[in-house]
Amino acid sequence: MAESTMGGGPTTRPSLFLRNATGLVKAWSTFDAFVYSFWSVNLITLGLYGMSFVYTVPDGQVLVGILLFGVLTTFLVATYAMLVSVMPRTGGDYAWQSRVLGGGLGFVLSITGWWFTLFLWAPIYANILVVQFFTPLAYTLGWTGVATFFASQTGVFVACLIVLAFVSIVVTLGMETYARIQKICFWIGLVGLAVVCLLLLINDQSSFQAAFNREATSLFGAPANAYQATIDAATKAGFAGSDFGHFDFSPVLLLLPWLAFYLLWPNWGATLYGEVRGAKDVRKPFWSMFWGLWVTVAMIALVVILMVKTMGWNFYQAANSLYWGSLYGGPAPVIPTWPYPVMFAGWLVDNHLFQAVLIIVMGLWFFGWAGTLFLSSTRVIFAAAFDRVLPSWAANISAKRRVPYGSLILMIVPSIVVSAIYAYKPTFTSVFLDATAVLALTFLATVVAAIILPWRRKDLYDASPIANWKVAGFPAISIVGVITGLFLLFMLYEWSFNGADLYGTTFSATPNSVYYFLATYVVAIAIYVAARIIRKNQGIDLSRIHHEIPVE
Amino acid sequence: MPKVFFATDLHGSETCWRKFLNSAKFYGCDVLICGGDMTGKAIVPLVEENGHFSYTLAAERQVVSAGQIADVEATIRRKGYYPLRVTPERLHRLDEDAGERAETFRQVMLDGVDRWMKLAAEKLAGTGVQCFVSPGNDDEFEVDDVVRKAEAVQLGEGRVIDIEGFTMISSGWSNPTPWNTHREEPEEKLAERIDAMAVQIPDMSRAIFNLHCPPYRSGLDEAPAIDADLKLLHGGRALRPVGSKAVRDAIDRYQPMLSLHGHIHESKGAVTLGKTLAINPGSAYEEGMLMAAIIQLDAKKGIKSYQLVNG
Repeated sequence: MAESTMGGGPTTRPSLFLRNATGLVKAWSTFDAFVYSFWSVNLITLGLYGMSFVYTVPDGQVLVGILLFGVLTTFLVATYAMLVSVMPRTGGDYAWQSRVLGGGLGFVLSITGWWFTLFLWAPIYANILVVQFFTPLAYTLGWTGVATFFASQTGVFVACLIVLAFVSIVVTLGMETYARIQKICFWIGLVGLAVVCLLLLINDQSSFQAAFNREATSLFGAPANAYQATIDAATKAGFAGSDFGHFDFSPVLLLLPWLAFYLLWPNWGATLYGEVRGAKDVRKPFWSMFWGLWVTVAMIALVVILMVKTMGWNFYQAANSLYWGSLYGGPAPVIPTWPYPVMFAGWLVDNHLFQAVLIIVMGLWFFGWAGTLFLSSTRVIFAAAFDRVLPSWAANISAKRRVPYGSLILMIVPSIVVSAIYAYKPTFTSVFLDATAVLALTFLATVVAAIILPWRRKDLYDASPIANWKVAGFPAISIVGVITGLFLLFMLYEWSFNGADLYGTTFSATPNSVYYFLATYVVAIAIYVAARIIRKNQGIDLSRIHHEIPVE
Repeated sequence: MPKVFFATDLHGSETCWRKFLNSAKFYGCDVLICGGDMTGKAIVPLVEENGHFSYTLAAERQVVSAGQIADVEATIRRKGYYPLRVTPERLHRLDEDAGERAETFRQVMLDGVDRWMKLAAEKLAGTGVQCFVSPGNDDEFEVDDVVRKAEAVQLGEGRVIDIEGFTMISSGWSNPTPWNTHREEPEEKLAERIDAMAVQIPDMSRAIFNLHCPPYRSGLDEAPAIDADLKLLHGGRALRPVGSKAVRDAIDRYQPMLSLHGHIHESKGAVTLGKTLAINPGSAYEEGMLMAAIIQLDAKKGIKSYQLVNG
């Protein structure tokens, strides 16, 4: 037997003696976990996509909005890190909500967020793949037919199938292989981003205008001075213009629900922390999520400043206004593609091969990120199956390749149906815009669990390393939870009731999405009630899963 | 027919052991099985100086009076650590002398198991509940002797035991691990150990394999990947199957009705391997949460129902 000592040193006494025992491993690298968190708040894929909607709040100062969002999301990160330290086992939102709020409520709230709503994210991922990879690459290489195919309904559906196939392959490969791929994508993607930033830094607005006009004509056959034509067309269509230097606090608040699209997810991997032995240490999950969030905040701020300097903020907003407006019956944009800042930056070099390589390299931001789409979902489905709420086959793994085919079927099949609806039924678009809001609602339920945890599960809280973390006598987890809860409630209110339907999700204007999400909650409740009845007939009482056994 | 409560990998958590003993009444079970790895992994020294004791718990240094020390010891035991009263001189010796440290660990572990056996006698006496313990790879061999002497607990290791018409075999041995623990052996030896018991089972449709180590590539054996320096890889997200091929082979060949496992705390689950229901309830001993499986056996069906619980 070998033993070791902790807390010892030349001047301090040892405070703990450890013996050699299974599972006593050294802590994981915070950098490794940071990479995962960093990918979750992906500043290129989700970030630039989300940024393209900011034009709807033209008076919103986006830099202030990003910083404010970073500060508020830090409380979310702190809440989740503390929950990880109290209950680090597999399950994440499902386990926390079930153990604190109760099995039924936990199942309904987490399964709607991490299972049903993730169906909606497959088409969103596919759309990002189309506008940031397939379409710009095809236009750059002169493959106009390919580009127009992916703009068609069938092209969108095919892109959805490509995303689902990619996600399934990643789940089959396993996280160890994908983590290696992610690291390669991380470093090469950073090099690509550095090139984009360098191009924007060393060029001025007149050289960008010249490059934009040249490539708009060369690649899309646009008339001369496409840069000014874009601004003029957007203005004619009703875009009032956007002054980056303008500051007013109220519009900044209205930016927050848009920024949530990419900055609300540094805790995405929280459902996986249960498999980490070092997770009891609250600092590691906190710092990995914190740096994942704030490095992204800093980088997006840098990219925005460079875009303002070289592209012009009013032009960028006008281009976005024109593009998104054209999908809802507005005039056609001057160039028939989503305003992809990476493609625009590439145009500063008059070489189509370079431009194509830059788009491919920046495409690694997608392929290093998209593979984890269903990873958290499969964990939640496993946890529900082990609790016997879902059938046991939902947690089945194939013997040979260890593929979790049960949970994959439960994710892939509905995702294909939802993807077809997305591609062929444009009237359902608002349902997809709500995808962020429903996940925020799931987070809110977890935050409520965190707030009441010290009283509701006193046993777990008292045994945790944060039991003594108090501010003015109140548990720190409850305080950060309340702040996070207010932040989430504000955004949920705006998504649901914004009078101008700014986010395309206001209840009164989007009855389809209201019906859809009500239906998901009804289905979740029905599954749970049916499970209770079926299991009761089998002699299993689901209400006792999380009941604590008396100690004394 | 017996209703079985199975928990494993308590690792010295007195809270979990108390819950384990209370589970019979709480869930109405009549057979308790503890799958192994009962003993803890750490000693917290309580340094006695000038009539006071100082110690560090959850990174916070505390000083308490002699009158408070019994409560502190109870708190430390509930967390799965062993409290040890020491003088500054003995603390220094423990820090410097690996041999004395090893002997001290052995003594506190055996004292701990002995106390647990006495607790079991108090709580189970007269209840008719059968309680089986099979020490795991992290438990020293002397633990078996302490369990053998227990009034209310039976030792499972290496035995073929009849439980109301069902036959259970038990072993806490595992395939080799990076930690070189007490009960490890090559797969071939482990296969022989299992075979020696399995051949004595009259009816595999009524058989329970209580084997600490989970079967290889079963989904019950996925542990975080580590490097040669025992450092977690890829932020702890990468998992590898580390179960025993011998255990897997035994299950595939003999197809017992039920196989119960532990060892890999993170790999909670229940899977079917052919005709066998294989369960690893996982372990969250450090939280004081008792993760367990309840299995209702039935004369006709074999397994009537099962449920994983977080008690």
